[in-house]
Amino acid sequence: MTKNILLSAKGLSKSFGGIKAVNNATIELKSGSITGLIGPNGAGKTTLFNLLANFYTPDRGEVIFASKPIHQLPTHKIARQGMVRTFQVARVLSRLSVLENMLLAPQKQTGENIIKVWLDRKTIKKEEKLNREKAMSILESVGLDSKAKDYAGALSGGQRKLLEIARTLMSDPKLILLDEPAAGVNPTLINQICDHIVNWNKAGISFLIIEHNMDVIMSLCDRIWVLAEGSNLADGTPEEIQNNPHVLEAYLGQ
Amino acid sequence: MLNFIINLSNNSGYIVSLTILTSVFAIFALGLNLQWGFSGLINFGHIAFMTIGAYTTVMLSLSGVPLIVAVIIGAGLAALLGFFIGISTLRLREDYLAIVTIGVSELVRLVANNEEWLTRGVQGVRRYQIPFVDWEPGILGKVIAIALLTGIAIFAQWQLLRGIKNQFKEYRSVQNKSYQPTKPIVCIIWGAIATIVILFIYINGIISLYNYHYQAGLMVLALLILALVYSGLEILVRSPWGRVIKAIREDEEIARALGKNVFFYKLQAFMLGGAIAGVAGSFYAWQLNAVYPTSFEPLQTFNAWIIVVVGGAGNNPGTILGAIIFWTYDAVTRFLLPQLGIDNARLSALRIMVIGLILMILVMWRPQGILGKKEELTLGK
Repeated sequence: MTKNILLSAKGLSKSFGGIKAVNNATIELKSGSITGLIGPNGAGKTTLFNLLANFYTPDRGEVIFASKPIHQLPTHKIARQGMVRTFQVARVLSRLSVLENMLLAPQKQTGENIIKVWLDRKTIKKEEKLNREKAMSILESVGLDSKAKDYAGALSGGQRKLLEIARTLMSDPKLILLDEPAAGVNPTLINQICDHIVNWNKAGISFLIIEHNMDVIMSLCDRIWVLAEGSNLADGTPEEIQNNPHVLEAYLGQ
Repeated sequence: MLNFIINLSNNSGYIVSLTILTSVFAIFALGLNLQWGFSGLINFGHIAFMTIGAYTTVMLSLSGVPLIVAVIIGAGLAALLGFFIGISTLRLREDYLAIVTIGVSELVRLVANNEEWLTRGVQGVRRYQIPFVDWEPGILGKVIAIALLTGIAIFAQWQLLRGIKNQFKEYRSVQNKSYQPTKPIVCIIWGAIATIVILFIYINGIISLYNYHYQAGLMVLALLILALVYSGLEILVRSPWGRVIKAIREDEEIARALGKNVFFYKLQAFMLGGAIAGVAGSFYAWQLNAVYPTSFEPLQTFNAWIIVVVGGAGNNPGTILGAIIFWTYDAVTRFLLPQLGIDNARLSALRIMVIGLILMILVMWRPQGILGKKEELTLGK
């Protein structure tokens, strides 16, 4: 195993009743890469995401992130390690402002400690100011700065996706798990989202992306993993995957 | 004007006790507002915390513990109750919490009713220590008390003006955004009403402090604690901690995905809300002069809910406004309705009926409560 590997999951399995949603799945991605995860509907991609981020506890298998096993950590501690996820249907905090959505994400804020809220107001004020500036600059880069004081619930579907991705950036992640960032988004906005992902990747953030839009996957990813019926079907570069007969079969049927 | 003041000074004792009750229930409901309005925890047994606070304070002070220590222990035990309820149910869906809290509040009341060695049961507890009862203030004492009251009044007025100013600012800056801020004229009307209420309480407070009775001292103390609890909570809900709590109310999964320990935050909010209700319980006991298990019926929980819903959930000034409206209603109907020639038994039923009617109209006309924001209800998840 090289040092370069950021996330590696081996032998992950999860059953719901009699259904094996994920069966002995393996995934590995390098630091600084953009990795794709594709597969037909019901292949277990989102379940695999949930296993990686420990929203579900795996029945078997292990997840190593940045050389540390994380499959036994409570969910909230995984984000603190630097791995943050988004959701398939964009989830924003509707009744909080766009800016507040952003400000929620930074880790280890002094003001999250109930005692320090009253005793250490100076530090909190300073942190809030820094975080606010950072949030505004990220919002500006995704074109949501004019909406900063609006309720997040008033955003359109595409804007919510943008906000959700922008929010993960606030927590200084090493790896972002994106669950269908292009689903239900218009083509112009898809291009924008792709550009942002490339830019952020250049800044050193790795991505793992579930996506059905093949243009997005093929243009962005360095490496692609294919799942079918809960197990690994193939992995390789975009060219290899495009020319793999098993993958075509799984997607198009015989 | 002179007539008004003479009239006031004749009734000032009643208005003092009304002010104490309002403050006590404002504190009590602020605890619930933290739990439900900000954190989304449905607590149908809020009275249990108040019962524990009240009984702990009076029983401890009867056995010679200094009052302030007794109040702190009472609040601590109420928080401990919150800890035990929370640790067993906060991992579950919120409806379970609602059911457990109802059960626990009945449990606490039944213990108060039956465990005579602990609470003296249905005979109730009397002749316990009440702050300021033995205090005979000289000129200096009265001056200090009046100065304190003035300080509280100035603080309240300052908070009010600041709130109105913020509303104005919002009105100017977010005209064509996704929501409509309150119109300035509405703010001014509410501001004027609130100013009159503050002035009324203040003038009456000065009169009653001048003709000193221990309840006047108790009133200043209750108002002081209300101001402290209110400003503490305002700092809290505007802090990053408050942001996490509101995020959990909206969508736990997001908070969890962003690295927040959801369970721990909910537990903190639940315990703090309980402790606040415990403090309210101490004051309630002092106001009542004697505590009986029947003082802590489940109805009180729902009174707190009415206060929070009327004022606007997730809004601390709204909760205080709700408490004022609730007790003003209580006082007005107590004096006005008998003049219509209705006998007592029917009267109390009628008063509760009218509360129900008002709530129904409010929920249809302004479901977000008087100071709540409508958008916070209409925006879906």
